[in-house]
Amino acid sequence: MINSAHAGTLESSDVYIQINPIEEDIVEIELHSSVAELYDDMIEELIRDTLKEMGVTGINVHVQDKGALDFVIKARLQAAVFRACGTVPSWEEQS
Amino acid sequence: MNSTISVSEFDSGNIRRVKKVQEFLDKNELDMSPDIEVFVTIKDEDDMIACGGLAGKVLKCIAVDNNRRGQGLILKVVTHLLNAALVRDRKELFLFSTPKNIEFFRDCGFRLIEECDDEIILMENTKNLESYQKKLTSLKKDGDVIGTIVMNANPFTLGHRYLVEEASKRSDWLHLFVVREDASEFKFADRIELIKKGISNLKNVTLHEGSDYIISKATFPTYFIKDKGQVNELHAKLDLNVFRNQLASFLGITHRFVGTEPYCKVTNNYNKNMKKILEDPSGKTAPIEVVEIDRIEFAEQPISASRVRALLKENNYEELESIVPPSTYEFLMKGVQDDK
Repeated sequence: MINSAHAGTLESSDVYIQINPIEEDIVEIELHSSVAELYDDMIEELIRDTLKEMGVTGINVHVQDKGALDFVIKARLQAAVFRACGTVPSWEEQS
Repeated sequence: MNSTISVSEFDSGNIRRVKKVQEFLDKNELDMSPDIEVFVTIKDEDDMIACGGLAGKVLKCIAVDNNRRGQGLILKVVTHLLNAALVRDRKELFLFSTPKNIEFFRDCGFRLIEECDDEIILMENTKNLESYQKKLTSLKKDGDVIGTIVMNANPFTLGHRYLVEEASKRSDWLHLFVVREDASEFKFADRIELIKKGISNLKNVTLHEGSDYIISKATFPTYFIKDKGQVNELHAKLDLNVFRNQLASFLGITHRFVGTEPYCKVTNNYNKNMKKILEDPSGKTAPIEVVEIDRIEFAEQPISASRVRALLKENNYEELESIVPPSTYEFLMKGVQDDK
């Protein structure tokens, strides 16, 4: 991953995800969610799993969630990563 | 969702559309800001129902039509403004708005820096203020009189040196802040270097690089367009409130020193507000006494940086030499040589 990128919106039931490359080989997550009390662990796990599937580390993920469903969060994150890499995904491989 | 809603983004060169934004802001009792580069508007068919602007790293002029509140339009506007900022590689952002919107913007990832007169708020989407305050705390000095000066020094003159020397004499310790914004004739790096050389004999002074929180385009945009005479009193007050509550209190500052201002209307007005706001005993942090120090004169004219700039233009190097320290003179003459 080389560039910063973002995906999503701040509107209700959506999520705004902003990603930046970082020096360290880790996944850094900053999560703000309107449903944090119930789902913050789940959202964080989803983000880590998605990034692991995509083989991405050295990344800072800023999440502003407005109660998005899990597949929305996953799709937004994937979109942001593809934008950051400047690649076109082969959708068969993404599930 | 209403399908007749459309969002558009355009830059300030689009005079016809900017005029429509102006009309919309007037209707919502908000002032247009002249430094906006990118506008975002939301329309329902042909009627504008929301708008916002991006100026540098500041989101401002965000308004939603009275009859369309509560539909999340403000979030749509902020989303588009954030996108506009991020594609321009601006990640550390500020925003101006009114206090009733604080909660909306909190939900967009912004945190409150300061609120002023129930009319204006300044927020940021980073934790930069917090880390800046930690840094200031580590530079805190003990003493009964902890003075401060904020200066642009464009460039550093004997007048500035007199002000710093006087303040240093009257203080146990003096914190000197240099306006960081590169919006002046002389670059920040040069301005601070000339100050450093000009005050090297003073032992009780800490020279601070300015920040976004001291007279910057973020906190005080109208300062940098003062030639146009567009003074925003609210921004001046906001800047002073940020100074008192968010910065000075972390350094334990008790006094702020300023030179009397005979020429510039904006600065003069700023000094008046400074007395009012910093000395107000009912504020949430300890009051700061404002001390005005008379400018020194040469040939019966007060010495000022604007006079230095004028003399440079007139190639009047003789008079120039008598109102700036040797280090500044040397620097200016080198510039003159390079130009030739």
